[in-house]
Amino acid sequence: MNLIRKIFFIIAVLALHSCGDALDLRPMDKLDAEALFASEEGVQVFMANLYSQLPIEDFAWTRNGFNSATLNTIGITPSNQTDIAANSEYSHLIDGGGNFSWWGYGLNRDINLLMETIPTLSFTEEEKQVLMSEAHFLRAFTYFALAKRYGGVPLITSTQSYEGDVESLKVPRSTEKVTWDFVLEECDRAIEHLPPGNGSSRRATKWAAYALKSRVALHAASVAKYWDKAPLSGPAVDQNLIGMDASEANRYYEECIKASEAIMNSGTFSLYLPTPGSPGEAAENYRKLFEDPSNALQEAIFIKGYTEPTSGHSFDFWFNPNQTSDGSPHPGRMNPTLEFVDSYESYSNPGESAPIVTTLDGDVNDYGGYDPNKEYLRFDTPYAIFEGKDARLWGTVVLPGTEWKGKTIIIQAGYVEPDGTGTIETNTSIDVNGVTYYTFGAADWTEYSGFSGIQAANMSRTGFSFKKFLSSTPVNPNLGQSRNDWMEFRYAEVLLNYAESVVESGYIGNNAQATAAEAINSLRRRAAHTVDIPLTLENVLRERKVELAFENKRYWDLIRRRDFHLIFDSYQRHGLKPLLDLRVNPPQYIFIRSALPRENPLTFPQHFYYVSIPGVGSNDLVQNPQY
Amino acid sequence: MVTKNLMYGLLLQCLFLTTLMAHDIHAQVKPIDKTYVVLDKSEWQLQEIFKNIETITDYKFVYPEDILNNKPIINANKKRQSVNDLLVEIGTAANLKFKQVDNSIYVGERSGKKEIIQIEIEDVTVTGKVIDDSGEPLPGTSVTLLGTTTGTVTDLDGSYTLSVPDGSTLVFSFIGFVSKSVAVKDKSVIDVVLSEDISSLEEVVVVGYGTQKKENLTGAISNITAEEIQTTTHTSLAQSLQGKISGLQIRQQSGAPGDLLTSIDIRGFGSPLYVIDGIARDGGNEFQRLNPEDIESISVLKDASAAIYGFNAANGVIIVTTKKGSKGAPVFQYNGVVGIQTPTEMPQMANAFQYMQIRNDANVNIGQNPFLTKEELQNWQQGGPGYESIDWYNETMKNFSMQQQHSLTVNGGSDNVRYFTSLGFLQEDGLARSDAFKYEKYNLRSNISVDLTENLVADINLSGRFDKSTGPSFSAFDILRGTISSLPSNQPYANGNPNYYTDVRDGQSFNPLALSDPELVGYNESVTKQFRSQISLTYKFPFLEGLSVKALGSYDNTHIMNKSLNKSFNLYTYDADNDTYIPNTLRSPSSIHNGNVDNNRTTFQAHLLYNTTVDERHNLGVTLVYEQRQGWGRNSALSREYQFYTTDQVDMAGTNNMRNSGIESQDASISYIGRTTYDYMGKYLIEVAARYDGSYRYHPDRRWGFFPVVSGGWRISEENFFKDNINFISNLKFRGSYGIIGQDAGAPFQFVPGFSTSGGGGYEFVNGNWTVGARSPAIVNQNLTWMESSIKDVGIELGLFNGKFNMELDVYQRDRTGLLAQRNVSLPNTFGGNLPQENLNSDRVRGIDFSLEHNNMIGDFQYGIGGNFNFARTMSVYVERGPFVNSMDKWRGGPLERWNDIVWGYDLEGQFQNKEEVVYAPIQNGDLGNTRELPGDFKYRDANGDGIIDGNDNLPLFWGGNPKLHFGLTLNASWKRFDMNALLQGSGNYSLRFTHAYATVLWADGNQPAYFSDRWHKADPYNSDSEWVAGEWPAARRTADVGAMYSESGAWRKDASYLRFKSLELGYTFSPSLIESIGFSNVRLYVNGHNLLTITDPYVKSFDPEKTEGGLNTGWVYPLHKSYNLGVNVRF
Repeated sequence: MNLIRKIFFIIAVLALHSCGDALDLRPMDKLDAEALFASEEGVQVFMANLYSQLPIEDFAWTRNGFNSATLNTIGITPSNQTDIAANSEYSHLIDGGGNFSWWGYGLNRDINLLMETIPTLSFTEEEKQVLMSEAHFLRAFTYFALAKRYGGVPLITSTQSYEGDVESLKVPRSTEKVTWDFVLEECDRAIEHLPPGNGSSRRATKWAAYALKSRVALHAASVAKYWDKAPLSGPAVDQNLIGMDASEANRYYEECIKASEAIMNSGTFSLYLPTPGSPGEAAENYRKLFEDPSNALQEAIFIKGYTEPTSGHSFDFWFNPNQTSDGSPHPGRMNPTLEFVDSYESYSNPGESAPIVTTLDGDVNDYGGYDPNKEYLRFDTPYAIFEGKDARLWGTVVLPGTEWKGKTIIIQAGYVEPDGTGTIETNTSIDVNGVTYYTFGAADWTEYSGFSGIQAANMSRTGFSFKKFLSSTPVNPNLGQSRNDWMEFRYAEVLLNYAESVVESGYIGNNAQATAAEAINSLRRRAAHTVDIPLTLENVLRERKVELAFENKRYWDLIRRRDFHLIFDSYQRHGLKPLLDLRVNPPQYIFIRSALPRENPLTFPQHFYYVSIPGVGSNDLVQNPQY
Repeated sequence: MVTKNLMYGLLLQCLFLTTLMAHDIHAQVKPIDKTYVVLDKSEWQLQEIFKNIETITDYKFVYPEDILNNKPIINANKKRQSVNDLLVEIGTAANLKFKQVDNSIYVGERSGKKEIIQIEIEDVTVTGKVIDDSGEPLPGTSVTLLGTTTGTVTDLDGSYTLSVPDGSTLVFSFIGFVSKSVAVKDKSVIDVVLSEDISSLEEVVVVGYGTQKKENLTGAISNITAEEIQTTTHTSLAQSLQGKISGLQIRQQSGAPGDLLTSIDIRGFGSPLYVIDGIARDGGNEFQRLNPEDIESISVLKDASAAIYGFNAANGVIIVTTKKGSKGAPVFQYNGVVGIQTPTEMPQMANAFQYMQIRNDANVNIGQNPFLTKEELQNWQQGGPGYESIDWYNETMKNFSMQQQHSLTVNGGSDNVRYFTSLGFLQEDGLARSDAFKYEKYNLRSNISVDLTENLVADINLSGRFDKSTGPSFSAFDILRGTISSLPSNQPYANGNPNYYTDVRDGQSFNPLALSDPELVGYNESVTKQFRSQISLTYKFPFLEGLSVKALGSYDNTHIMNKSLNKSFNLYTYDADNDTYIPNTLRSPSSIHNGNVDNNRTTFQAHLLYNTTVDERHNLGVTLVYEQRQGWGRNSALSREYQFYTTDQVDMAGTNNMRNSGIESQDASISYIGRTTYDYMGKYLIEVAARYDGSYRYHPDRRWGFFPVVSGGWRISEENFFKDNINFISNLKFRGSYGIIGQDAGAPFQFVPGFSTSGGGGYEFVNGNWTVGARSPAIVNQNLTWMESSIKDVGIELGLFNGKFNMELDVYQRDRTGLLAQRNVSLPNTFGGNLPQENLNSDRVRGIDFSLEHNNMIGDFQYGIGGNFNFARTMSVYVERGPFVNSMDKWRGGPLERWNDIVWGYDLEGQFQNKEEVVYAPIQNGDLGNTRELPGDFKYRDANGDGIIDGNDNLPLFWGGNPKLHFGLTLNASWKRFDMNALLQGSGNYSLRFTHAYATVLWADGNQPAYFSDRWHKADPYNSDSEWVAGEWPAARRTADVGAMYSESGAWRKDASYLRFKSLELGYTFSPSLIESIGFSNVRLYVNGHNLLTITDPYVKSFDPEKTEGGLNTGWVYPLHKSYNLGVNVRF
C-alpha cells in the first residue's frame, strides 16, 4: 500500500497547488485613465483617436462613409454624385437620404469626455486652455458636419450617463440658426487659445480654426440666402429646425469675411508657385500641389496625413486610367464629364466658360451622335481640341492622347470608315491602305483606356480620365496603398470663400471689393491667365468649381446654394467621343458631343437638401420633411 | 479487434463459467450396466444411496423432492455390482423407475409392471469453432443443449467439443451477440458465426464523467461505434458521421485539401462542445482531424444531460473515447485506403461563341451599337486560328485528384500492462494542375493502462498530430473565380508561349493558371503541431465494493505556424508588331508573412465514484468531480516587403513596411460536479446531476453558475404485467429530462474599466510618424453574464422482437435567455456611447429527432437498415429594439413568434411575353417605370394591388439558407464473406440564392455559365425589328442596364432540399484458411465511394446544395468531392 500512499500524497500536493484565486485574471489589452493621461504623449494618443474620427471629407470619404479607404466602394466618390464626374460603371447617384448621413454623436461623446477630463489633468493652466480650445475645434468640426446634413440638431455638450431613465437622455433639436451659431461660437473658442502654427502643424491651429469658421459661415449664409430657392414644409420647418430667414445671410457672410481676412492678413499663407512661366508649367505646378501637399506648406492650412504602414487611401487603386493601373483590377472609375471640361475658361476668352466646339457650325448643344453629313472639325491629335484651355484642366484631367505615367493614354470611341460609316463602340478593326485601325485605338484592352465593352468598368465612358491627387510613380495595386496627404483647408479655398461672401453680401469694408477681385485673379494668374476679370458672382463660382474640383466641395456648393435640383432635373450628363476619321489621309480626329451611355436621367428631389434623421423611433426627434 | 461488447461479454461469461463447468459432460459417458459400485453398508435411505452413487460415479440423479416421501429403507448388497443391478433392486423395493440420459439418471414413480430401467445413451460428439462477423474467435461462448443448462464454453480459439444426444439442438450464445440455434442432425462439425447484437440492451454508453448502461439512460444520448463510423472513408471524421446519428447536423462547406470547413451542429443548437477522453478540447477542427482508427466510440449528448459539462455545453456535447489496449499477444492491424476524387458538380461555362452572342445581345438589347460585327460573331462561331475557345476550368484543374490514408495499430497487453498504439498518415492532393494544393497529416497515439497494484490502475494517453496544408498564395476561391470569369475568347499564354501567362483580368479575376502557379505567385503554408497528454489514476477501494476514486491531469499544447509568400508577378500582353511581351506587374512589391500561435491548456480532475445495489433491487450510483482548467496562449505575426525578391526568408526581405503584432491571453475555470443515478430493478430510473461552474470572464460577484439537470425514465417493458402479456415488445421506455446549461457570452473582462490601444483610430500628427490612438473606455459592464439554456426533452424507446426493430423518438425544446443585445437600440442615438451588451434577448429551438432500425439474419444473410431524421426550427422570443414605426414595420420587422430564417421576396408570376405586357404591368423600377424591362424579364405579383412593385409587395416566401430538416438512411448487409454498407443523406426546408457570376448575366463582364445561353433574344441581333425568341432566362444585359431582374424572387432563390447517396462500401473478407498460411488472421478488401449521386433542384445541383458559403454565396469555394476508394484491412 506504500505506493498508493505516495500517489495520494502527490495528488494532494498538486490539488493544493492548483486551488486559490485561479479565476482572478487580468486583461492584457487595457490601460487605466491615470496611466494614459499622465503625459502630453498619452494625451496625443487619445487625441489620435478623436482626429481619426473627425469627419474630414478627404479621399476616404465615400458613399460608404468616412475612413472607408479600404472598402470596396466601386470607386464612387461624392464627385460622382454631382455634375463634374461619372463613375465608369454605375450611374448610381444622388440619394441624399442615406449615403451622406453621418450621425456623429459617438465622436461628440468622446470630445465631451475629453473636455471633462482636461480640468483634472496635472498640466499648467495654459496647457489646459490650449487643450480645451483644441477640443472646441473638434466639436465645431463635428457639429458643422451635423448641421450641413441635418439642419438643426440636438446640442449635447456634456457626457450623458444612463441611469435607467431613457427619457432624461432625450435632447430635442435646436433650430438651424441656433445650431449654426453654436458652431461659430465653438470656432471662436477654438481660435481663442490655439497656437498660430502653420501648414506643417497637423493638430488644430488658430488658422485651421479660422479656416473652419470661414467655411461654416459661408455655408450658413448660403442656406439663409437661398432657402427660398427650394423651400420645404412640415413640422421641422414650422419649428425652424431647418431653414433660416434671408435676413440672417449678411451676418454670416460677414463672419466668413472676417475669418477669411484673419488668415489673409496673417502673413503665414500664400499661394503655391503663384506666377508660372507657361500654361504647361502651371498645369504641372497645380498637379504637384495635390500629389504632395508637403511641398506647398505656404498654401496648406490643415493637412490630414497618410503614411505607412497602416494608413492609406485608394485613389490610385480606383482612378488611374486603365493603361496605368499598376495591376489594380479596378482602375478607370473616375470619368470627368464634358460639362465639367466645358466650364474651364480658355486663355483667349477670359471670364467665360469655353465649351468644346466640335463642328464647323459651332453648335455645342447638339448631342445627336455621329452624322456623316455633318462637318466636323478635324484635329491631328486627340488632345489638340483642348489646347488653349485653362492649365488646371490639364492638371486635373487625363485628356485623350496625353502622356501619364510614361504612357500615351488612348481614349477613342471608334472610327469613321473611308465610306463615311461610323463604327462606334463596337469591337472591331479595319484595314485602310495596309494599316490596321482598331475601334478603341489599339488591339488589346490593356493598351487603351476608354469606351470599350471589354473590361467596360475600367474604361472611361466620358472620354476623360482623372489625374488630380494621383501619384506619378507606381503604387502598390491594393486597396489603401496611396499615401499622399490631404489638404482639408488650403489658402485657395479661403480666398474663394472670401470672394463669394463679398460678392454675395456686397460688403465694402476694408476695400473688400478690390481684395475679392484680386483673390480670384491671383488664382487665375497661378493658372497662367494673364488677363484679369471683374468680380462677379458667375466668375467667382466658375473659379470655385474648377479650382476646388474633386476636393469634395462641389457637392456642398450645390447643396448650400440650392442649385442641385435646378441642374439635376431629369438631367443627363455628357461625354466627348474622339473618333479617328479615316476619310482623310493621314487620318485625323473628330469629336462627338454625346449623352453618357448606360446612364439614367437623374433628378434631385428637393427634400434631399436635408438628410433623414436616423433613429427617430427612439430619440423622439422631429424628422426632416418627406422622410 | 476487441470491441467493448466483447470485453464486457467476456467478463460476464467468466463469472458464469463455474456454473457451466459443473454440468460439463466432457468426460465419456458410461452406460450404467458397465459401471460398477461397491456399497459400504447395507441399509440405506433412498436419498442417501443416490448421493453415495453420485460421489463414486459421474452420474447424477434427477428427481422431484416429493418422490422420496414414504419410501422404505433399502437393503443393498455390499458386493461389487453394476449400477444397473443396484437400481433394479432399488426400483423393485421402492416402486421406482430410472432413465439414464447421458450422465443424468431421472427418477420417477413406477406404475404397474413397467420397466424399471431405461437407458438412452446414443450421444454423438460435435466439434466446431465460434467466430464473430470479422472472423475473430469468440472464446467463452456458451454452447448448450436447447432447453437445458447442459453444455460447455468455447476455449481461447473459439473451439468446442461436446457430446450430445442424437436429435438435439445446440444454442450458441454470447453476451452482446445475437444467439444462434443449430440442429445437430447428423453433423459432427458445427462452425458458427455470431453477429454482434447492435441493439443489445447491455450496451454501455459513455456519458459525461462516466459510463452508463444504454438501457438505463434517461437522457437523449446517441452512441456510435468504430465499425459504424468507418464505413465512410473521408478526410474529415465529421463526414464519416454525417447522416448516421439523428439530430447531428453536419454540412461540408469546402472540399479544399485540409480545409475541413464543416459545420457540425447538434439539433440546430449551434457549435457543440467536444470532449475527447474526458477533457474538453479544441472543437470541431481538432475533432475532424482525429484518426478514425483510434476511436472506440462517440457519444452525442443532445439534451440537458450535457449540463454535466457546464459552461459551453448548451449546444450539446460530442464525447470521443479512444481505444485502449486489451490483454493478449500483440494484434497488429493495418488499414490502407487509396482513392481518387473529383468534384461533385461544376457548372459548365459558356464557350467563346456563346459568350460573344450574349455580350452582343447586351449591347443590342439596350439599343446600343452591336458589341462586335456580324462577321466577327461568325468567326467566333466557326472557331479556327485566332478564334479558339478556352475552357479555363479544364486548363487549370485536373479531373481527378488522389487521396490516401494509412493506419497501423497495435493492441495487446500482459497481466499488468495493456497498450494501444497507432500511427496514422493521410495525404490529399488538390485539383489544380500545378499540384499546388496539398494536405498531409500524421497522427500518433499511445494509450497505456498499467495495473500498479491490484486495485490501482494508471492510464496514460499521449497523442500528437502534425499536419500541413499548402497552397499557392492565391486562395482556391481566387483561382476558381478565375476559371469562371475569364473569357473563353482569351488565351492562357501570350502568343501561345507557356513562359508568358496572358494578362487576363476578366470579371474581377486574374489568369487562373498564373494564380495557381506557386513558383510564380508564391505560396501559403499552415503547419499545426498538436500534443495531447493525460494521466489518470483509478483506485478501487478494496473494503467497499463499488467505491473508487480517480485523479486525472492533462496538458495540451497546440502550435500553429503560418507562412505566406506573396510574390509580385508579371502577366503579359503580346505585341505582335514588335514581337515583344509587354509585362504588367501585379501585386508589387513582394511580401512575406509569418504567424505563430501557441495555445496551452491544463486540466485537473478528481473523481469519486460509488455504485451499489441494495437488496438486489435498488441500484444507486454517485459521481462527484472537481475540475479545474487553465489556458494560456500567445500569438505573434510579422511581415516584410521585398525591394526585390530574394528567397522566402524573412531576414532576406527588405526592411520597408515591416509590420508585426502579438498578444497574449489567459483563461481559467473551476467546477464542482455531482451526479446521482438511481433505479429500481431497472424499471424506474432517475438521475439528478448538477455542476457549479466558475469562470474568469465575469465580474467576481457574478462568475459562479449553477447548472442542474434532472431526468427520469420508466422501462415499462420490465414490468411483469407487461412481460407476461406482450411478448413481442422487448423494450419500451419512456424518458424525460430537464436541465439548465450556461453558455459564455461577450468578450471577457468587460467589468474591468480602461482604455485600449487596439480598436482606436490612429493619426499622423507629424509627417511620416503614425500615432496609434487609444479607444475611449467602453462603459463598464458589471452585469454581463452567461446565456442560460433550459432544455426539455421527452423521448420514447421501443424495441420489438428481441431487438430486431428499434425505434427512438425525441421531442425537444431549448429556451435560451440572456442572449447579448445592446440596450441602446432603444436609447436615443444622440447618447453617443454604446451601452455594453447585456443579457437581454431570448430565443427558442424546437425540434424532433427520430430514428428507426431493423436488424435481422436469414440464414447466412445478415442485414440492417436504419433511418433517422431531425427537424428543428428557431424563433426569437424576445428581441431588444426600438418601437416599431407602424404596423407594416412591425409585420415586416417583428421577428417574434415567428420562425427564424425566413426570406422575403417577390412572388414570381412568370416572364413577360411581349412588349405590351411590359407596358401594362405594374411599375417595377420606381421612377424608371418599366423602361428597362424587356420581354422575357421576370414579372412579379403586385401583392398590395397599388400598381407599383416595391418593398411593400415583399412576402415571406422562402426558408433561408439553413436546413431545418436533416435525414439519413443506412443500409448494411453481409452474406457469407461479403459485406455492404450504404448511406443516404439529405437536408430539407431551406433555399439557396447564388450571387455573382453564377446568378448574374455577364457579372462584371466576365464569362458566365453556359445555361444563360438559353435566353430571350432577338431572332437576328443585327436587326432590331426582328422577333423575340423565347428562352429560359431573360434577355441578356449588363448588370447596370437591367430593371428589377435580380430582385429576390423564386427566379433566383431555389429550394435546395436534396437527397444524396452519400456513401457505399463493399467488402470481402478472405477465408481464414487462405490467409493463415501467410501469417494473417484477417484480411478484408473493400471498395467505397462517397457523394455518389445527388437528387435536387437542377439549378442548385450544379453548385452542390450541401455547400453554402454564408453571406457571399458566389459558389466559388472549392468544390465538394465525389470519391472512389480501394482499401484493405489486415490483421496479424
